Amino acid sequence: MKPIIGMLALAPTIVLCASVASAQEIKIWTLVQEGMPEFMEGTISTFEAANPGVTVVNESFPNEAYKTQIQVALTGSAPPDVFFNWAGEDAARLVRDGLAADISAYGASGYAKTVGEGWLSSFAFDGANYGVPTDAVSKYFYYDPAFFSDNDLSVPETFDEFLATCQAIRTIDSSIVPWPLGNSERWKLNHVITMLNQRVLGLDALAADYALTAPDDELFTNPGYVEAWQKVVDMQDAGCFQDAPNATSPEASRSMFAAQVSPMIYCGTWCGNIFQAEGYEDFEMFRFPALTDGAGDPGGQFLVPQGYMVSSKSEHPELAAAFISHIVSDEGARDFAEQIGGIVSNPALIDEVDGTRWFKFFVSDIATATESVNVIDVLLDASVANAYLDAGVEILNGTMTPEDAMTTIREAALAAKSG
Amino acid sequence: MKPTPILKPRQSVGVQIVQNQSVLVLPALLICTVFIFIPAFLTIFGSFYAFGLTSQNWEPVGFGNYVRAWNDDVFWIALRNNIIIVLGSIVLQVGIGTVLAAVLDRGISFGQTFFRVIIFMPMVISAVAVALIWLIILDPNIGILNAIVKSVGLSPPKLGWLGDPSISIWMVLVVAAWQYTGFMMVLILAGLQAIPNHLYEAAALDGARGFRAFWSITLPSLRNVLVVAILITTIGGFKVFDLIFVLTNGGPANATQVLGTYIYLQAFTLTNMGYANAVAVVLLAIAVFLGWLQLKVSRRS
Repeated sequence: MKPIIGMLALAPTIVLCASVASAQEIKIWTLVQEGMPEFMEGTISTFEAANPGVTVVNESFPNEAYKTQIQVALTGSAPPDVFFNWAGEDAARLVRDGLAADISAYGASGYAKTVGEGWLSSFAFDGANYGVPTDAVSKYFYYDPAFFSDNDLSVPETFDEFLATCQAIRTIDSSIVPWPLGNSERWKLNHVITMLNQRVLGLDALAADYALTAPDDELFTNPGYVEAWQKVVDMQDAGCFQDAPNATSPEASRSMFAAQVSPMIYCGTWCGNIFQAEGYEDFEMFRFPALTDGAGDPGGQFLVPQGYMVSSKSEHPELAAAFISHIVSDEGARDFAEQIGGIVSNPALIDEVDGTRWFKFFVSDIATATESVNVIDVLLDASVANAYLDAGVEILNGTMTPEDAMTTIREAALAAKSG
Repeated sequence: MKPTPILKPRQSVGVQIVQNQSVLVLPALLICTVFIFIPAFLTIFGSFYAFGLTSQNWEPVGFGNYVRAWNDDVFWIALRNNIIIVLGSIVLQVGIGTVLAAVLDRGISFGQTFFRVIIFMPMVISAVAVALIWLIILDPNIGILNAIVKSVGLSPPKLGWLGDPSISIWMVLVVAAWQYTGFMMVLILAGLQAIPNHLYEAAALDGARGFRAFWSITLPSLRNVLVVAILITTIGGFKVFDLIFVLTNGGPANATQVLGTYIYLQAFTLTNMGYANAVAVVLLAIAVFLGWLQLKVSRRS
C-alpha cells in the first residue's frame, strides 16, 4: 500500500516536471518602434496558439542602445534566440564571428515560401541564409505642398533645381530654414552622402571601395568622392541647412518640419507617422534629386533591408526560424505593414493593408526604384564608417575641405584593410 | 599512568578579535574580487591582445595597443579634455562652492536653508537628466540660452553651443559645474562650520574682517577639506562619462571626447576591444594613483 501512496504523492511533481520539460521558450529582441508592441503582441499570440507549449518572450530596446546591447548579449551565455538586425556589415560581422545561426535548412518549409530570393540575399553569406528580412526602410524628401504652392515653388527633380529651391526659399524669407538637418548624432548627413556617392559615382564604382577589396593605390581615390562632399558644401552655400546642424538633434529637426517652420526635410519612411503624431499630415514626398552629370542611376533609391537573425547559441533554432517564418507569412507581413508601416518583404496581401496615404505612396514608389542604395554606415567597416561620420561633422562646421575629408577616410580605409 | 594532556595555549582576546575582523572583511573582499579585481585583471590582460567585441579570436600584440594609444591623436585629445575638465571643475566647482559656502555661512542671515537646498538640488538629479535638460537649453533652434543672448543684442555662436568645437568643451564644464557645485558647497560648508568662532572674534579685534578674515582664517582652516574636495573633483573629472555621452557623445569631431567616451567608442562602436582595454588601463592607472593620493591626504587630515 505504501508504495502506491508514495507514487500518488509524487504524481503532481512528475506531471509538473514533464510539462516543464516539454515547454519551450524563445526570447526575441526587437527595436522600440511605433506599432511594434501591438504587432508583437498579436503575432506572438497567434504563434503560441499554433504551437502549444511554446512561449515567446519579447524584449524591446531603443535604436542606439540596441546596437551595443545586442553585441554584448550575443557573446554572453543567455542571448536572445531571435534578434533584430540590419542587413550589411552589422549582420556580416556576426556571421564571421560565429554568433549567427545558419537557418537555410528551415527555409524551404517556412520563410523561403513567402520571401523572394532578392530580399533573402540581403542576409545571405556564402550561399547560406543567416536571417530573414521583414522589411526595408527608405528615405524621401517630405515637403509642405501649401508652402510650395503659395510661393510658386515646384518640386525639384535635379540637384541644381534643388539648390535653386533652397535659394528661392531663403529669398522669400531668409529666416526660414529650407531643410533642417539634425546631425547631432552624425548619421543624418551620412544618409545624404550615401545618396550623393551613389548619384555621383554609381554603385558599381563604389562596390570595391566599400568592400575594401580595391587595390591600396586605388582605394577611395576616385575624385567622385570629393565631388560628392562638394555637393554637401554646395547645399550649405545655397542656404539649405540651418547654421548649427551639428548641434541640432534629429528630433528637433523633425519637429521643425512638423510645426511647418521649415518646408522640407529628408527623412525616413518611418517619419510620416511621427509627423502625424505631432499634428501635421498634409505633407507630400519626393525622391532624392537626380544629378544631370552623375554616373549613378537616377532611379536608385535609399533602401536598407532589416530583419531577424537567430543566435548560434539558441537551443531551439528550428523554433526560432519558425517564429521568423511566422512574421513573414502572408498574414504576418500584412499585419506588419498595417501596424508598423514597414515596406514589407512579402507583399502578397499588401492590397488588404489599410495603410496611411504615405505608406501607400512608399510601397508604390519603391516598386519603381531601379536600384537600391544601402546606407554606408551599414555597408562599411566600422572604422571607415566612423571616419565618414566625423568628416561629415567637420565639413558642416567648415573645419575640413572635401579633399581633406577623403584623405582621412582613405587613411582609415587603408588601416582597416591592413588589419 | 595516564599521559598528561597537552593543553592548547589559550588565545588572547586580542587575537580572537583580529580573527573575527578578518572574517567580517571577507564578504566585502569577495565582492571586490568579483566586481573589481577580476574585471581589472581581465582588462589588463585583454589590453595585450587585439580582439573585437564579438570575435572569438584573441591575437597577442604585446604592448601594441599602448603604442597605438601613444600615436593616437584622439587619445591625447581625450586625455587633454579630461585635464581641462579637472582643472576647470576645480576652479568652477571648488572655487564657486567655497565662495557660496562662505556666503551662506557668514554672508547672509536669512534663507540659508532655502539657498542651500536650491544650490544642492542639481546634485540629486541624474547626470543623464541634467544633460537632457541642458540639451534643450542649449539647442540652437529652440533653446532659451540663444533667446537670452539675442535679447541683449549679442549673437550666439553660429555653430551652436555644443556644435562649435572651440566652445563645446567649455559648455560641458558649465553644465558639470551647475550640477556639482552644490555638492562642493555643502562639503565646504561643513568644514566652515567646524571653524571655532573665537578665531574670527580674535581676528576682528585685530581689525581683520571680511575678505581679510576669509583669506587668513577661513582658507587655512579649510585646507584639508579643500584638498579632499579637489581630489574628489579630480577623480570625478577623469571618470566623467554619462554627462558627455548624452550631451555631445564626444563630438563635434572628437572636440569633447574624454577617455571614458573614447573607451566606449572604441569598444562598442568600432569594436576594438583590445585597444579599448589599453585605454581603460591608462584611465585605471590614473584613477588608482588619485585614489591613493586621496587616501593619503584623508589619513593625514
